[in-house]
Amino acid sequence: MKRFLSIVICKLLRIIGKAVGKGSSLPGKFALKVCPDVLARVKMPRYVIAVTGSNGKTSTVEMLAKILTDGGFKVAYNREGSNQIEGVTTFVLCSSTLSGRVKGDVLLIESDERYAKYTFKHFAPTHYVITNLYRDQLTRNGHPMWVYNAISKSIREESRLILNADDPLVSLFGKDKPDTVWFGVDRLPTDTDKPDSVYNDGVYCPCCHGKMEYSTHHYSHIGHYRCTACDYARQATSYTVTEADLDEGYAVINGQGRIDLALKSLYNIYNLLAAYTVASLLGMKGGDIATAINNYTLKNGRVVTFTLGGRRGTLLVSKHENSISYNQSIALAAADEAGSDVLIIVDAISRKYFTGDVSWLYDIDFHRLASDNVKSIILAGTYANDLAARFTYTDIDSNKIKVTESIDTAVEMLDAGQNRQIYVITCFSDKGKFMERVKVD
Amino acid sequence: MKILHLYHDLMNLYGDYANLSALCRILEQNGVDYTVDRLSLGDTPVLSDYDFIYIGSGSEENMRLALSHLSSFKNELKDYIEKGGFALFTGNSFEMLGESINGPWGDVKGLGICDFTVTQQDTVRTTSDAIFLSEEVEQPLVGFVNKCSEICGVKAPLFTVEMGLGNTKTEKSEGIRVNNSFGTHLTGPLLVKNPHFLEFLASSLCHKPMDSSAFVYEKAAYNITLEKLRERI
Repeated sequence: MKRFLSIVICKLLRIIGKAVGKGSSLPGKFALKVCPDVLARVKMPRYVIAVTGSNGKTSTVEMLAKILTDGGFKVAYNREGSNQIEGVTTFVLCSSTLSGRVKGDVLLIESDERYAKYTFKHFAPTHYVITNLYRDQLTRNGHPMWVYNAISKSIREESRLILNADDPLVSLFGKDKPDTVWFGVDRLPTDTDKPDSVYNDGVYCPCCHGKMEYSTHHYSHIGHYRCTACDYARQATSYTVTEADLDEGYAVINGQGRIDLALKSLYNIYNLLAAYTVASLLGMKGGDIATAINNYTLKNGRVVTFTLGGRRGTLLVSKHENSISYNQSIALAAADEAGSDVLIIVDAISRKYFTGDVSWLYDIDFHRLASDNVKSIILAGTYANDLAARFTYTDIDSNKIKVTESIDTAVEMLDAGQNRQIYVITCFSDKGKFMERVKVD
Repeated sequence: MKILHLYHDLMNLYGDYANLSALCRILEQNGVDYTVDRLSLGDTPVLSDYDFIYIGSGSEENMRLALSHLSSFKNELKDYIEKGGFALFTGNSFEMLGESINGPWGDVKGLGICDFTVTQQDTVRTTSDAIFLSEEVEQPLVGFVNKCSEICGVKAPLFTVEMGLGNTKTEKSEGIRVNNSFGTHLTGPLLVKNPHFLEFLASSLCHKPMDSSAFVYEKAAYNITLEKLRERI
């Protein structure tokens, strides 16, 4: 009875909430008040797939939903990205019948890495994907090892782990779970022998703290590693990107066929690979997966194209307080051989909480914007001066850099500029402030 | 000027390395010659060779690794600090200086240079933006505290708390000072965020006034951050 009431309340509040434009976590919150263990009382479908990690959760879930739907599965997923227990409850109950059975074949859950332990106390995912562990929102999260400990409390014995073998910290989750499925990327032409980021989280073994050795670095601490002191090493992968060309924009998984990339980045390839791995485990054929995802453009608003006067631009939504997310955007902007102007906005560091901390700027590889492809850089927002101070520690010609706290002024500077491609790098929290000043495609 | 950056690859969690970038820049701009050695686990630093020692912040595990290594040099470090050597410990690195560190990552003895004790927990990360007042500089310091510990029994704190977390939940004082060695739980590049404190530190270190007028962006950023933080009090 409590379950029934909880589901009814959740569905009703969701309908009202949608009508008045409210977020998706409130209905779940009330449902949990009525029946705190309602998630344990609903009948889950055959497949319950969870995705967590620092970066790439939303993109991985979106691509996986697309692949599985094309493959004939009926998929329910939290497309609104409410990934703490309340949001997950909302979408699970709204995907249920009144009798408490989740409709469809697959429940696909993006889960917040710190809160997964609360969600998965009530039910165990059949497949649990962990994408990566990076320095992300450290003003809340502490540090990656702190997050590691939180995630490890969410892992249930009966869940099958699907892990990024190239991330030494993530791989530690699977050390004593022999049924773990590993995915990873072979050595690529874009790899480096030495780490070339401003910090390196792969120096010491996460298992014994001995020195690690890398035979190749994909980026940051992601690569092929082994500990020089114990037997901890990158696992052999069952699902592997065997070839990738970021200029041309394609990847090949397990040596079969090519998948064209709408977003030409290695980070995107990892998300694609994680989705490919899960779909394969659910019985889909490689060719069908590739067809479903070929040239797929993400709908989650992470990449937005726009027009400003006569100029074309791309907004690359990056996460403040997340250096790897920024590095991804920087790599895309710096790679455009046609030449570009880059605008970086740091105005509100988070949309969910206040902080004035800008330490994270020092973890970002801004020096990569020293490329000749980048003709000018505008730094804008409340924290424009902090950005400008950070840029003085790169070897980028200071004549290329303009600094303004006003986003309006920044947009005027671009509008008056030459007819080159514009790249805007900023966070969800500041995205709207730019988008309202341009014409979105 | 010989500078030692200890545990650069182990205790560098929040862009702490940039403290040395800023220090080196002000020395350079004021015509002071310097060298920087970066040493870590497995190295054998001769602490008395240096004019300035810096250690940044790390995970609770990494701090224990650093402590275990530094324990072999604790007499040298004690000597260095007692003789008035300059040092800066940011984030949890200054916790190593006390008597003991207890917590879920194991109970260990500290370096015993100061008589405070540290208690850690692993359930809640306590973080806060911070405004700290110092006797040394006229303007307050701004920054961020990110920890999971309480530090009890600090007799000579470095700062008074205007906003943010102090050494314990109840105390309005923060950090520690022993002669010319400074410890604070402010994380990240606090010398970039606080150009006036950088000027004070460099001037003290070089025994002559240092000019920080070239730090234009840093000063503008500092004023904005201070204003934004004070709006929240």
